[in-house]
Amino acid sequence: MEPVNERALVERCRSGDESAFQELVDRYKRLVFALIARTVQDRSRAEDLAQEVFLRVHRGLPYFRGEARLSTWIYRIVANVTVQDHSRPVPLSLDDGRTAPAIPSASDRQFGDFELRDRLEKAIARLPANYRLLIAAHYLDGVTYEDLAGALGLPLGTVKTQLYRAKQQLRRMLETDLK
Amino acid sequence: MFCDEALDAVEAIAAGDLTPDGRIAEHLSSCPNCSAALVRARQLERVLQRRGVPQPPPQFTARTMARVRRARWRSDQFLDVGFNVAIILVVLAVFGGVWMLLNRSGLAAVSSDAADLFGSALVMLVRRVAPSLPLYVGAAALLASALGIWWWAERGAAV
Repeated sequence: MEPVNERALVERCRSGDESAFQELVDRYKRLVFALIARTVQDRSRAEDLAQEVFLRVHRGLPYFRGEARLSTWIYRIVANVTVQDHSRPVPLSLDDGRTAPAIPSASDRQFGDFELRDRLEKAIARLPANYRLLIAAHYLDGVTYEDLAGALGLPLGTVKTQLYRAKQQLRRMLETDLK
Repeated sequence: MFCDEALDAVEAIAAGDLTPDGRIAEHLSSCPNCSAALVRARQLERVLQRRGVPQPPPQFTARTMARVRRARWRSDQFLDVGFNVAIILVVLAVFGGVWMLLNRSGLAAVSSDAADLFGSALVMLVRRVAPSLPLYVGAAALLASALGIWWWAERGAAV
């Protein structure tokens, strides 16, 4: 979203315009839900947490100073919510019927790597919470290293290093599946 | 060049963030373990890029807005209760202060005579009003019902 439109939307939300907040939810729901569903896997829990993110956005908007981009601020809230949620025991498995039925992309079907994808999801579930969020966010369209660094309050180099470490752990966990 | 050094660079190379320089490229081409690790890292990168994006359920926005409204209503209720409690405390403090003032100034004795007078006036009033009491009770019940319906409608609108 362009900064001018973003500021206008925030101002409308602050003035109590409910339709403006609904517009904000519509704009960011795909991003927020995808990020959370990729880290918690349980679809109903993911929806609950995504709603929690928007509740916090609603409560926090009067204090949002606009120094960072709105999306960066929302990433930060997502990061806080998911990390807090990971203090709970994490029930994660792709074959227990509670998991997010991620829509397979055309290329998934083309390459027939469902089996590997399933194992990948299970391996990601075993990563530490911060690595899981980085992996979830980095592979969403339009999310840059800079966005992640801003959202997590980390230097750019640290974000890259942590991503490489997360992928290194994944590669080791999937050693026998990757050829 | 050791394997550890090359293996640390494998993910960055697979992500396209690092172009292997002469030493690393030479090691990767001569060490079967490290070159296999690079192949696996590249495959992992491809699978991660093709990972499906979970979509929010169709009613997500409506449910979120309902939750936001509920939270706002609860917060308003909390403020209302806090305000009412504060008012009650202020009224109690005022009455307590007046009572203490009356006791200390000796006006309490006078006020007990006034209370007797007020009591007898009240008894007289009740005797006069008693025949029309059912009418007053009915009117009060109607008023209470109207207030109740208004409160219920306001609550529904807020939620």
